[in-house]
Amino acid sequence: MRGVALLCAALTAACSSVTPAAGGGADAATAPADSFGQPAAAGEVKQGGALVMALSAEPDQLDPTLSRSLYSRYVFSSMCEKLYDVDQQSKIVPQLATALPTVTDGGKTVTIPVRDGVKFADGTPFDASAVKSTFERNLTLKGSGRKSELGPIESVDAPSANTVVVHLKEPFAPLTAALADRAGMIMSPTATSALGDKFSTAPVCVGAFKLDKRVPQNSIDLVKDPNYYDAANVHLDSISYRIITDANIRAANLRSGDVQVADTLSPQGVPEVRADSSLTVLQSTSLGYQGVTFNVGNVDGVGKPAKPVDTPAAKDPRVRQAFEYAIDRAGLVKVVFNDLYATACSPIAPVSEFSSPASEVCKPHDPAKALQLLKDAGVQTPYPISMLVSNNPDSLRLAQALQSMVKEGGFDLQIKPVEYASLLDQQDRGDFELLQLGWSGRVDPDANITNFLGTGGSQNVAGFNDPALDSILTQARQSTDLAQRRDLYGQAVTKIQESDPLIYLYRQRNLTGVSNTVKGVQVFPDGVVRLAFAGLAK
Amino acid sequence: MSRYLFHRAWQSLLTLFLATVVVFLGVRALPGDPALALAGEDRSPAVLAAIRQEYGLDRSLPVQFWSFISNAVRGDLGTSIRTGIPVSSMLRTALPVTLELSVLAMLIAAVVGVGAGVVAAVRRGHLAEWFANALALIGLSVPHFWLGLVAILYLAVATGLFPASGFVPLLDDPIDNLHHIILPAVILGTGLSAVLMRQTRSSMLDSLSTDYVRTAKAKGLRPAVVVGRHALRNSLIVVVTIAGLQLGELLSGAVVTEQIFGLPGFGKMTIDAVFQRDYPVIQAVVLVTATAYITINFLVDLLYSVIDPRIRVGADAA
Repeated sequence: MRGVALLCAALTAACSSVTPAAGGGADAATAPADSFGQPAAAGEVKQGGALVMALSAEPDQLDPTLSRSLYSRYVFSSMCEKLYDVDQQSKIVPQLATALPTVTDGGKTVTIPVRDGVKFADGTPFDASAVKSTFERNLTLKGSGRKSELGPIESVDAPSANTVVVHLKEPFAPLTAALADRAGMIMSPTATSALGDKFSTAPVCVGAFKLDKRVPQNSIDLVKDPNYYDAANVHLDSISYRIITDANIRAANLRSGDVQVADTLSPQGVPEVRADSSLTVLQSTSLGYQGVTFNVGNVDGVGKPAKPVDTPAAKDPRVRQAFEYAIDRAGLVKVVFNDLYATACSPIAPVSEFSSPASEVCKPHDPAKALQLLKDAGVQTPYPISMLVSNNPDSLRLAQALQSMVKEGGFDLQIKPVEYASLLDQQDRGDFELLQLGWSGRVDPDANITNFLGTGGSQNVAGFNDPALDSILTQARQSTDLAQRRDLYGQAVTKIQESDPLIYLYRQRNLTGVSNTVKGVQVFPDGVVRLAFAGLAK
Repeated sequence: MSRYLFHRAWQSLLTLFLATVVVFLGVRALPGDPALALAGEDRSPAVLAAIRQEYGLDRSLPVQFWSFISNAVRGDLGTSIRTGIPVSSMLRTALPVTLELSVLAMLIAAVVGVGAGVVAAVRRGHLAEWFANALALIGLSVPHFWLGLVAILYLAVATGLFPASGFVPLLDDPIDNLHHIILPAVILGTGLSAVLMRQTRSSMLDSLSTDYVRTAKAKGLRPAVVVGRHALRNSLIVVVTIAGLQLGELLSGAVVTEQIFGLPGFGKMTIDAVFQRDYPVIQAVVLVTATAYITINFLVDLLYSVIDPRIRVGADAA
């Protein structure tokens, strides 16, 4: 019997059934509270030892300028420190900087104080000129993924060894948050000039660990960096990231002791991992979201001027609002994700300092109202609508649950599963009516909204165009006052919910399995698993 | 002979070229844009344009094809769009893994399959035959991925006898390498061992009823010698032929096994590359596979012509 249970746990996709939940409508987070992990207490861990972490996907280039995969951030967190980091409350805190930036000149001059006495892994001194050269590389290197994140930078100065001054063409409040991600990882100027765009073959940063070797599609091995400024607090000798893409196999490796940490556990597999007394599950709610996007104006492709799409769902916001009223988010999260994820109604996570009562407003589950809105819009029910969805098991389960749910609200949802690369292609070409996709999330709300719903946004696949929303987003981007920005983003959420081009459904939780033989592993809302200061338990 | 050689070499090169054209056009016919797949979440037009320019995806198909062919001839198979690692270096790490896995699986299948086949034939009608037949049926009908998961759950998670996944290169630590690869090899070899068992049993039954076996028995030879030296030896010709034919099956089975056990082999590399639309990797994989097949065929044809001169006469006439 235990064998059957084990097999079911391993093959949850086959063993679990999809049954739409009836009723419900609570839009508060239903899942248990976040558990980020604790820093290792003094005397709790041994010095030395090797830690193995199972990674759910292979990182791409280990070059902070060119990296595009979220998984590379996991490895970078151990080897490439940033000017800023985020803490458990998703607040920005200094890392290689010594304080938060000072903003002057009406938001156009940003001054960043940086640490003294720090060395890169190759022995090159870290100073303001290294920061300047990294910024310039991020802004000019062909294919840089950081250029757009850094905003309208005009120039960067290094007036002293520990002061960096950034001159902006116009105020750009999201800059500090960008510097708490890959754009803020400072690279050794010696290495960047020697390797150019091949920096990823031998990356050199400031970090607790440095690259030892990488075996493609298998592993990335790091060793402790003796040059690191806080090396005394680094306990492990080495960290090995082993790529194991299947969630069940990752959990199996965790339970067999072959790995001590595993990211992105499957919500269906979590109870089995929790039942094992030698393991702990860390969970932090993502800053991103999952949702469904209507094609309201994407005819010629993303980024092109919006054109009318001749469907009731594209033309009439009441149809889209009806779709939202037909969704029982709490039921969805419970049925499809074992109640481990949190419901979401806006692009701003409740944990964010930009969250406000206005950004937390949520339409309740009300199928009767959905039917009424469809009637008001003059649409015959059941209203047929097709939804493009990635063909992975979780997305398909979600689509099936949605299909059953919205039926009650007068929709005949047809599911069109496609492979992920094809889905990206179709969404950018505007070849869809409705699609299900999400966003991993950033600390600053600008990065979670403007690109997706701002006119001409690079990821505005809905083809949405609302000058009033654009104006609010621009003001929020240029304001340096937190309270004002919070208020503006509340207004933006209200605007989005009026038109509903994108209906937010839920927020994933970063579910990380950790063996109790390891202490000090932490996961914050940015989703990055932090291993640099972990150690093997005594 | 030299004319025949030249003729076959020319044919092989032409086949290789055609295979290259087919795969080049085939990967581009797949829906999905590699620039989009690579851009990840940052799909700004500038980034997409830079990716397309960097990997030559913005150039015309003939230009891209010429660049691929001319570089490949010089031994440069390009750089992975996804990881930025040279494809030749990826092949160097992946090929030995798959070869080791396949060879080991073949060895295990041969020992288990031939052994069980002999027992089933010699002990015909006894419990041993039923047992061997049942095992063969399971081996043939249960898919690799299921057996792999069961093996991981019971032999890695529950008992800790084997690692659940991962790979250690043979030269780094031979013992640890074997520890990691033995379980996947056993799983991969199950299907083949079942085929070999059935084949060995059938051939052995034929051999055991032949005159020379009867003569050997009449001479008073020990049963083990009769079976081992006379019956089995003659049965093995067919078995070896079947085993050779099944090698292709083994390589395709390796794709699934590598995925389950997280082995960084050729199959896993191919699957990942297809999903990520990593054109240089897909092209290189097909180029290497086609070259291997064409070279083997070429060598086999040469052997045929050495064994049977009529073959090259026919070619000369053509």
